[in-house]
Order: sequence, then structure tokens, then C-alpha cells
Amino acid sequence: MSAAETEVKHTAMRRRVRNGALGLGCVAIAVYLAFIALLVFRSHH
Amino acid sequence: MANAHTSDTAHDDHHDQPATGIKRWLFATNHKDIGTMYLVFSLIMFFIGGAMAMVIRAELFQPGLQLVQPEFFNQMTTNHALIMIFGAVMPSFVGLANWMIPMQIGAPDMALPRMNNFSFWILPFAFTLLLSTMFVPGGMPAGGWTLYPPLSLQTGDSFPMLIFAIHMMGVSSIMGAINVIVTIMNMRAPGMNLLKMPLFCWSWLITAYLLIAVMPVLAGAVTMLLTDHFFKTSFFNAAGGGDPVMFEHIFWFFGHPEVYIMILPAFGIISEILPTFSRKPLFGATSMIYAIASIAFLSFIVWGHHMFVDGMPLAAQLFYMMSTMLIAVPTGVKVFNWTATMWRGSLSFEPPMLFALAFLFLFSIGGFSGLMLAIVPADFQYNQTYFVVAHFHYVLVPGAIFGIMAGVYYWLPKWTGHMYNMTLAKTHFWLSAIFVNVLFFPQHFLGLAGMPRRIPDYAVQFADWNMVSSIGGFVFGASQILFAWVIVQSIRGGQKATAQVWEGTHPTGLEWTLPSPAPYHSFTTAPHIP
Repeated sequence: MSAAETEVKHTAMRRRVRNGALGLGCVAIAVYLAFIALLVFRSHH
Repeated sequence: MANAHTSDTAHDDHHDQPATGIKRWLFATNHKDIGTMYLVFSLIMFFIGGAMAMVIRAELFQPGLQLVQPEFFNQMTTNHALIMIFGAVMPSFVGLANWMIPMQIGAPDMALPRMNNFSFWILPFAFTLLLSTMFVPGGMPAGGWTLYPPLSLQTGDSFPMLIFAIHMMGVSSIMGAINVIVTIMNMRAPGMNLLKMPLFCWSWLITAYLLIAVMPVLAGAVTMLLTDHFFKTSFFNAAGGGDPVMFEHIFWFFGHPEVYIMILPAFGIISEILPTFSRKPLFGATSMIYAIASIAFLSFIVWGHHMFVDGMPLAAQLFYMMSTMLIAVPTGVKVFNWTATMWRGSLSFEPPMLFALAFLFLFSIGGFSGLMLAIVPADFQYNQTYFVVAHFHYVLVPGAIFGIMAGVYYWLPKWTGHMYNMTLAKTHFWLSAIFVNVLFFPQHFLGLAGMPRRIPDYAVQFADWNMVSSIGGFVFGASQILFAWVIVQSIRGGQKATAQVWEGTHPTGLEWTLPSPAPYHSFTTAPHIP
């Protein structure tokens, strides 16, 4: 069984799927780090 | 309605049939297989979390310490919540999303199938880790699912295991949410613009954005708990200049949207079922989408209502009170639209419709008690009492869980190809709907009379309603075995289901254009939506 069964055929759509996933993943990591950074900053003031 | 082109006729490569044996499940990339695994996993967790609830209700059957030590009782309340929220309700909605979103938007599968496999298989490890804390010195986490410091920092050897398990659950949820958003935004069939998209997909799209926004916040909070515990930081340690109340703010900034993560997909399911069994289109479909979006937005600005008794400026109390009450407006729009959908409809009462109706009435009770809790001076009285327990269980059990059950009974014949035993399913409904009220309604009285939550023992004046509540709990719990039995029966055989499944109801949606059971690959050629 292969992930190819999704049949995302068009290059443009593949790019959109990849960029969408990477973008949303980056947002999640940014929120995670931002909250920790916020409290580190707060604890020094 | 568009014609379905299925893999049965479309192509003949080696991906047409599932792999056999354990490989099919271990290396699954098919959305239906992964959806099935999510649903089975969540059912198992539902029974494990339910068993913990039975321990709680057995101990509270009579005043005095009957069966378990207070420490173990606290472990049960904490882990009942963690398992039901992160192990039962959330994964079951992800399972429904996996099964239904590709079929409803006319896609062959989810956009990111390998990530889909990974996001599921993290979960069994996370919950094995959490449950294995039963065997470590100090036992399971017992400081409440809210993990408030400094209490949670006194957890024994299970603490790092709990934190790691929560991180894994969060990663799984975020990956699932990314998959839902990317699939919906990129893989809809030609002609299906966003406003033509079914309400279940809409509710999940908005839920997925909520998940990406708040799960990292929980992860950040528990990471800081971890460093406070092991690396001598003082984020939440007052002795080191930290602030334990700050943890509450961060936790509830996650926690309140989390409540809507557990109810919005149920709203979507109910919006699919009521029109089908009323034989009418959904009343105000566009306003339903705006209502879901409004609820999602408001969920980010009301977290302070969980913390009124911590003490906060009057202006903040007023802001959180007013903004919380504002949620009643879009929620009222939804309840009005559901009622208007049924108005002068040709109603029939199959099991999905029965669960949807019970949802409508009983979720509203939970909504109204939520409004009561939003009133600051009233909350001073209700806080930390059984009134709060009654409120959120009305929202989550006849709300979220009845929504899940309604969805399972609605789509089960489409998944298995067999109609299920209607008599057993209706018996399951009536036992659940009656005894969920016997279980939770008396808890309003107990809370108003002043019984605190999270205690294994209580004063004798609370004895009668606790006994009634426990009897309700035992029957409700036992009746869920019927649910599992109906599903097993439907998988094993039974009367063949047609493609339409609910004959005479004309349900809308692309999933009903596919044969029952749905083929392994749903739409290898995208249908065209006029």
C-alpha cells in the first residue's frame, strides 16, 4: 500500500498541499515557541 | 447530484485492494482504514474512561469511604477526564473526519496520507504511556486534568510520562488538523465551492483552525511545567518569582477553545442528520456557517470565566461575563435553525434522528447552565461544586458523545454495507437518553446545595441524590455495551444497505452517491458539482 493512492496528480496542487501543510505546521511551532518566549520575557521584567 | 466514479470501474492497479493482515493497519494510508482505526481506538478509550467513571460513581454511591482510597479516587477523576477528552471524544471526531470528509468533498483520499498514518499511530503510544503510570511509584496523575501548579508539580514518578503523553496527543491533533485543512482547501471536487460544502466539513474546517491555534499553547504550558519540575525554572513557582495564576490563564486560553473543538464537529453532524430525517433542506445553512465561525472566534476571548474566583479587576469580570453571554447568540441561531428545519417537516425517528433530537434538548440544558455560570456573582457560589460537573457533562455527554453516536448510526450502513439492528439501536438510545438524565440532572441539585467536586466522601445530606446519580451512571454505562454490540453486528452482516441507505429521506451529499459499503477508493475521478 502506498501513499500514492491519494493521486494528487497536478504539480501545482502538490505544491499547494505541501506549502499548506508546511505553513500550518510552522504556525503551530511558532505559537508554541511564542508562548514560552512570552513567559521567559515576562519573568525577566 | 453528481455521478460517482469509483475505483471498481476506474482503474486496475495494485492499490485497488487493501493489503492483508496487520500490514493493512500498520502501514495504512487509506482514509477509511485510518478512520476505522481512530473510531475503534476511541471506542476502547470510551470504555476505559467509562470504567473509571464507574469507580467514581461506585465510591460516591454512599457517604463515607467505601471502595477506594482518596488518592486513588483523585487518580480516577483526573484520568477519566484526560482519557475521555483526548482519547475518546477528539479521536472519534478525527475518525469521522477521516471517513467522511473525502467522501463529502469528492476527493479520493486525504491530502497527506502518510502523515495521517503517523498522527493515528502516535495515539496508542501516548495512551499506553499515560495508562502505564498506574504501575509507577505514586500512581497515576491525580492533580486534576487542568494540571494546575503547584499541585500538579507534586505528582510522583508519573509526571514526566504525563507531560510526554500530552505532547504526543498534541502533535497527533495538530497533524490531523493540518490534514483536514489542506484536504478541504485543495481537494474539493470541481464546482464545489466553500458555500456548497456540507456542514460537517465546514464545522471540521473551523475546528481544525482552532486546534492549530490552541494545542501548541497547551504544549507550551506543560513544557514549562516540566522545566519547573526538573530544571528549577520558576515560570509558575511563586517562590522563584513566578506566577501560578499565569498557568491558569495559559491553560484556559487552550481549554476554552478545546470545549468548542469537542462540540463544533457534533454541530456539523446534527446539521446533516436533522434535514435528512425532516425531509427538508437545512434552514439558514449560510447563517449556520457564520454561527460556527462566530462561536470559534468568541471561544478565544472568554477564558477568564473559568477563573472568576481567582480574583480579577471588575472590568475584566464584566468583559468575560459579557463575552461569554454573547456566545448564546450564535448558539441560539443554530438551535433556532435546527428547530426551523424540523418545522412542518415530515419527520421520522430512526436512531440517528433520535440521538440528534436528544442532542438538541439536552445540549441546550448544558448551554443554559453555562449561562448561569457566566454570571460572576452566581459563579462565586457555583464554582468548584457539582453544578459545574453537571453543566459540562450535559455539554459533553448528551452533547458531544450523543453527536458522535448520531453520526455513527447515520453513516454506519454506508461504512459496513449492512443495516444495523434498529430495535437494539433504539433500545440503546432510550436507555442512554433516560439514564444520562438520571445520572447528571441530580448533580445540579447537589451543586446548588453546596457539594464540592473532586471529593471521595461527602456530608450525609447529599446522600440521596448521589445514590440516584450513581444508579443512573451504572445503567448508562452498561447500556453502552449495546452500542458496541450493534456496531459489531453491523460489521459481521445483516440486511444489505442501498447506496441511499435512508430510503425515502433523500439525504444530500456526495457520500450517498457511492455504493454501500463505500469502495476502498472513493472518487478516483472527481465528480462534477453543478
